[in-house]
Amino acid sequence: MDLAFLAAGLGAGLSVFGAALGIGKLAAAALEAAARQPEIANKLQLTMIIAAAFIEGVALFACVICFILASK
Amino acid sequence: MNVVADTVALDNINSHPIENAHSELQIVAPKDAINHYLKSLGTHRDFSIFNWKIVDLPVILYDKAEGFHIYRDIKAMEQGGTFTEVHHKIVHKDNIENGVTFDASITSLVVWQWIAMIVGIFFVLFAARKYKKSPLKAPKGIQNAVEALLLYLRNEIVYPNMPNRALANKYQHYFYALFIFILLMNLFGLLPGGHTATGAIGTTLGLALISLFVINITAIKQIGIGNYLKHLLGGAPWWLSFIMIPIEIISIFTKPFALTIRLFANMTAGHIVLLSLVGLIIMFQSLVMAPVSIAFSLFMMTLEVLVSVLQAYIFTILTAVFTNLAIGDHAEHSTAH
Repeated sequence: MDLAFLAAGLGAGLSVFGAALGIGKLAAAALEAAARQPEIANKLQLTMIIAAAFIEGVALFACVICFILASK
Repeated sequence: MNVVADTVALDNINSHPIENAHSELQIVAPKDAINHYLKSLGTHRDFSIFNWKIVDLPVILYDKAEGFHIYRDIKAMEQGGTFTEVHHKIVHKDNIENGVTFDASITSLVVWQWIAMIVGIFFVLFAARKYKKSPLKAPKGIQNAVEALLLYLRNEIVYPNMPNRALANKYQHYFYALFIFILLMNLFGLLPGGHTATGAIGTTLGLALISLFVINITAIKQIGIGNYLKHLLGGAPWWLSFIMIPIEIISIFTKPFALTIRLFANMTAGHIVLLSLVGLIIMFQSLVMAPVSIAFSLFMMTLEVLVSVLQAYIFTILTAVFTNLAIGDHAEHSTAH
């Protein structure tokens, strides 16, 4: 029971770590591209939000599993 | 240090609830109080705003052994004698361990969905009536807002993501309805006394199931069943089919599943964070925590407004993108993006 809480906490932390790295990299790349070519900034933003949604989705899967572990 | 001392003292009071409870109010440990509120994030069997009960909601059950049952409210169900409610779950009286097969009761979240539908339909019909009455007049008020929203959705979501204009014009209404419905459901959770219907996994699963049908039936209608099946190969040579076809079939179902979890988890996560922030006051039991909690709650509420709009946008645009992906390169693409 207590180990489940530990697993949930560690899992949530690790999944957030991965998602933060992913979204950080994505935003950095998008910003660089937008700075180089300001005219495509609008298009980039749309693509960036979609990609961020995918990354976030995977992280949320992990968080939901952690939540199920913790609320059992 | 004062805060710590106060906390310890108050904890001692609460660990002996019966000796110290002079009033009729039941004193519970802080952790239990937070757990109680965490559970009531879900569904209720009556429709109430704060503690003001407006109406009891009907209970609709299907059980393998007992068949269909409809009761006027939860009290009528308890009096009926066959079923009883244990920990927010309806069970058979003889078999308390397992729930009934299928609980399709009208819960408070369903009522909030209805409210979102009615408000959405009201706004859109209001604008439509204005256009019918005076098509040449410049729009104003609600009409302006609805027009701006729908134009934005058409130009930013539907047109860039659908393979051609004819198809886009045919399917645009679905995307408008999806966006407005999800947005209103998300925003109603931020009203005082409101509930977020999208914070329940059943609601988002239903929306994603509709998206699943829209995505695949559109693709089959557009490119034919033969090309649709050819798509399952993913462009790989035939001898890879034993590995490609299972992957592609799984990916058909993971897309709506991801939509379900994304919307549900985003809406629930915000509420759990808000509850934790309010829970800080209950846990620490000191006035010092109140300004901190209020400041962070205000920040989270602002973020929630952003997340509500963003998630409605993402759900809609991903449905459009997936539809386009399922159709693939077979339909003619419009050059105007």
